[in-house]
Formats: sequence, structure tokens, C-alpha cells
Amino acid sequence: MKSRVLTLATLFVATQLTGCAMFRSYDNELKETNQHLSTGNVDAALAVLEKNNTGEDKDLLYWFEKGELLRSKGDLAGSQNAWREADGMVFKWEESVRLDTDKYLSQFGSYLINDKVRRYEGYDYEKVMLTTQMALNLLAQNDFDGARTAIKKTHEREAVIAELRDKEYLKREEEAEKEGLKTEYKDLQGYPVAALDAPEVISLKNSYQSAFSHFLSGYVYEALGERGLAAPGYRKAAELLPNTPLLEQALLDLDKTPGKDQDSDVLIVVQSGLAPARDSIRIPLPLMISGNLVITPLSFPIMREDASTARISQINLDDKALNLTALNSTSAMSRRALRDDMPGIILRTTVRAVTRGVAQKQINETNPMAGLVMGIASTITEGADTRTWRTLPNDTLVTRVRLRQGEHQLSLPSGLGGSKVVVKVEHPYQVVALRVVGNQVYTAGQAAHVLTPPAPAAAVASLK
Amino acid sequence: MKFIQISLLAAVVALASGCSSPSPVLGGKNISYGDSKAVELVTNEFGSTDLQMIAESMTRSLAQSGVLHGRPVVQVYDVKNKTSEYIDTREITTSIKTQLMKSGTARFASDNNQMDSQVDQLKLQNQSGLYKKSTVAKTGNMIAAKYRLEGSISSIVKRSSDYKDVFYKFSLQLVDVESGLAEWMDEKEIRKTTER
Repeated sequence: MKSRVLTLATLFVATQLTGCAMFRSYDNELKETNQHLSTGNVDAALAVLEKNNTGEDKDLLYWFEKGELLRSKGDLAGSQNAWREADGMVFKWEESVRLDTDKYLSQFGSYLINDKVRRYEGYDYEKVMLTTQMALNLLAQNDFDGARTAIKKTHEREAVIAELRDKEYLKREEEAEKEGLKTEYKDLQGYPVAALDAPEVISLKNSYQSAFSHFLSGYVYEALGERGLAAPGYRKAAELLPNTPLLEQALLDLDKTPGKDQDSDVLIVVQSGLAPARDSIRIPLPLMISGNLVITPLSFPIMREDASTARISQINLDDKALNLTALNSTSAMSRRALRDDMPGIILRTTVRAVTRGVAQKQINETNPMAGLVMGIASTITEGADTRTWRTLPNDTLVTRVRLRQGEHQLSLPSGLGGSKVVVKVEHPYQVVALRVVGNQVYTAGQAAHVLTPPAPAAAVASLK
Repeated sequence: MKFIQISLLAAVVALASGCSSPSPVLGGKNISYGDSKAVELVTNEFGSTDLQMIAESMTRSLAQSGVLHGRPVVQVYDVKNKTSEYIDTREITTSIKTQLMKSGTARFASDNNQMDSQVDQLKLQNQSGLYKKSTVAKTGNMIAAKYRLEGSISSIVKRSSDYKDVFYKFSLQLVDVESGLAEWMDEKEIRKTTER
């Protein structure tokens, strides 16, 4: 009788815990949000986001997603407000890292806390992309001075991240050596290693430096007449993405005397698709627990690519085809982040499993029922962290053209709905940003608006 | 009379107490003001000390060169940044300009980024009809530069698993606009090494 009550109590607690925010299925929440976004129903997407975040204490992810959804809706002020909240949280993180890096690293490296139970801090590339997206919002309103502030924050943040990661990787190597752990992600039987070892992932210098972000810095500084600062922006972008003619040309053109024509220097930015999802995979690993080799299933994160949007490589400008240059891939950056984090994840997951195994064995010996309870609880809580900024655009592509001031027409390929966008060019330097999800195209700012919605025949690919 | 004496005494006391007592400080557990000239070694990226060192070295060299006799008019061009670091090179030339101006060694013509504001102001005064004629600045009276000041900064970065070495080279030259001859030139080298 006693054991039945205990089992029921365990199941009840387990059910309650799965409803708890800490045990949420972020993938399920965002699947619905993104489905609405890819069919053009941004209000419904926002409603789903709000429904899933009813608590007072909103986390970083909520502000990330909200900012992107409001940007798609065209509410740039709302988007900036949401992202300012996110930026405040990232700033606090930066301060904690700056003030005491060692303390931060020892807290983060704690073996006892499951990654998915931690308060979400955001991946490094998300922090960099946050201020880059904020700069795009400001550029949509032709606020180059405001964009300069966001851009400057991006490089300062990048420097903090670079220093932290340098120290972290060193510390992790020492700890893995201390714990005697040599397992690498390549040793995990059944783990999709190819995704993390893809050429586009390995060729990245790290997970957080974005060629697009640096190129945009160069463009903003150039527009403001600060060539001394524009040059390192273009140069860094070219270093991150070698052999890219657009970047090399930008650097060469910087030394040229500006032409006397009245044409505008227009940067067209096309951001398409959605960031990949993180999922959890269980892989059995042999662990030495209390002197016995026990095969223990452990959870590790894997990436799942978004398939909502077809790849784009060209757009038409006034009926003339323009090739786009891809400068940023969130998919590659997030896989690189996972690749770099995997040694730490393996270390923490393994140490935690061993500690739990030892405790479980001791409890089993003294109180088998309590052991069962503990076993069920750990099955529920154990799982990889699947949270990640999901509405973030996957690909960022650009083209730079000189255009006569006045109205121009941009159109997307028919495979993406063939929407037409009217652009009003009226400043010497101007950024036109388009966001493509599914067959929907979103514009921001008064200079661009969608003229014809996507053709209904264009099917929305399924969101995995 | 006594009242005046007391008032004077009170005024002196009040003034003296105002001089001696420090201003109240609000909050600031981890915040403090530091010496703006203190050597900064937080990271080995380009920092405030590098900026000050370059500006001071270049100003001293240029002022002592003897080229700038008679307070000539100089136009400052942007310093070309050939590094991959976001160094605000305009701040270096602004510091050099400020120091030369303060010492009365040279005068400076509107540089490229100030020219638009200068032209706008002249247009506004002459074309808007808003200003009293006698106070309007006449066009055609701007002073042309005798010299132009231009330069560049470059860096060599080397890394190993234990060290990071950064070498900066800042070059500046003063060119006579009429003859095209470089009348003065100097460079400043800085090496910064970090052991990990």
C-alpha cells in the first residue's frame, strides 16, 4: 500500500514538473510560433509567445523572440524595446564576467546542475546577433548614429566573449584531465558527428564572430564618414569569410575618392529562414559507478535544421537579376557553438551521471522505493538543453548597389512566393532589409513596403 | 559695525568650509575614478595609453621640428587604419591637433568631416536672409591650408599557445600643399606582449 502511494506521488510530481517552466519543451512552443510566422500571421505568433510566457519574470529568450516577431510585424519601436530588455540581460551577464571571470566559470562549470535547468544566458552568437539586429532596426529608420552605438556595442561584446572563451577552454581542458575523462563527441556512438564536422562549421574561426556583423559595421562607419573605423570592419569580415569579392571590393572602394554622382549607395539585406532547433538524443555510455562498469543512457543536444524556407541566392531589382552574397549562417554558427561546447557538455553530463549513479546505488541498498522515486525523477529531469533563439534568421545575404534616388522595385524568386517590394531610395547611404520566412516577405521602416503578397500556390515547406 | 564684522567672519568661515570639505559621494561600491593618464594594461588591444603615447610623441616631434614657424594653417586628413582593430584614428589626430593648438604652434583648417557644416553655415548666413548683413560671414575668405597632415596605423599580430604579440606602427607626415614635398615625417612603434 505504502509503495503504491509513493509511486503515485512520484508520478504526480513528475507530471507537475513537466509543466514547470524549467522542464518546458521549447521546441514545441516555438514550432507553433514559427508556423504562424511562416504563414504571415505575426499576431498569432505573438499570441502563442505570450501564452507560453505568462510569468512575471520573463527570460532572455522571450525578449529575443518577441523582438524578432515585432520586427517582422513592422513595429520597430516595440522590437527595439523588447531587444533593449534582452540587451540589459546580456549586459548584466557581461558585467558578471568582467568583474570575476573565474567565479563565473566555476559557477557555469558546476556539475550538479543540469544545463536545461540553468537560467538561459544565450549563446555567444545570439548575443552578437542581438545588437546586429538592433542596428538593422535603426538603419531601417535611417538612424546611422543609433546604429553606430549598437555596432560599437557588438565589437565590445565580442572582445568580452573572446577573452572568456579563451579562459573557459583552458579551464575545461584542465578539469577533464583531473576527472580522467577522455570521451569526445566523435566517440558517442549514434551521435550525428557529420553535422558538427561539416566544412562550413569547421571553416568558422569561432561560433560568435559574424562576417555580416563586421561588414555592417564597415558600412555604417563608411556612411558616417569614419573610414578609419570602416576599414577594420570590412577587413575583419574579409578575414572571417576569405575570397568573398563583395568584401574585398568594399575595402578597395574605401580608398577611392567618392564619385560626384547623386546616386545612393544602397545595401540590400535579405534575411531568410529560421535558426535551427536543438533536440535531445540519448546515447548509452559505459561509466564506472562504484567500481562497476554500468552502461548508462545520457542525453546530448543535437541540431535540427529548419526547412521552412527555400534557399535564396538572387533577387530582382527593377527586373534585373542581382546575385546575393551569403555573409552569415546561424545554422553554421550554432553548430560551431555546439561543437565547441560538446567537451564541456560531455564532462558535466558524465560527472553528473556518475554522482547520481553512486547516490542511487546507496539509496537502493537502504530504501529500494526511494531509489525508484529517484530513478523516475532523474529520468524526467535528465535531458539536453533544447532552448535557443528560434526566430533568428538563418541566412543573411547582401548585395550593394548604386541606385538613382526615387522608387525602385524588388521582387523575390517565384519559388519564394514572388512577392514584390517597393523601395524608396532617398538618402546617400541606405539599408533596405527584407525578412523571408516560408513564402512570406516582411519589410521594416517606411522606405520599403510589400506591393504584392506571395502567390498562394507557393507551398510552405513543413517546419520540422 | 559689529554686525559687518560678524557677517564678514561668517562669510570667511562659509567660504573656507566650502573649500576644505569634499563633495559628498553617492553609492559606488565597485566604482571609482582613476587617473586618466594611468598606464592601461587591461588587454593587449589598442588602448588609451597607446593613444596618449602616440599623440604626445607625434606632437612633440612635430612642434620641435621647426617646420611650423609662423603658425601655418594645416589641414588634417583621416589616419588610414590598416589594422583589423576598431581603432578610432580620428581621436589620435584630434589629440595631436588639440595639443598643437593649445601650444599655439599651428592653426587648423576645417577638415573633411567639418567642411559640410562649415559650408552649410556659410550658405545659411548668405542665402537665408535671416541675418543682419553687417554680421554675415563673407564667402571666399576661408583660409587655405599650407600643409596637410596625414598618416596611417598598421599592426602585426602573432599568436602562439602561450603568447600573443601585437606590434603597432603609427606613421604621420606633413606635406606642403603647393610643392607636394613631405616636410616632416615621424613614426611611433609600440609592442605589446601577453603571456597566457
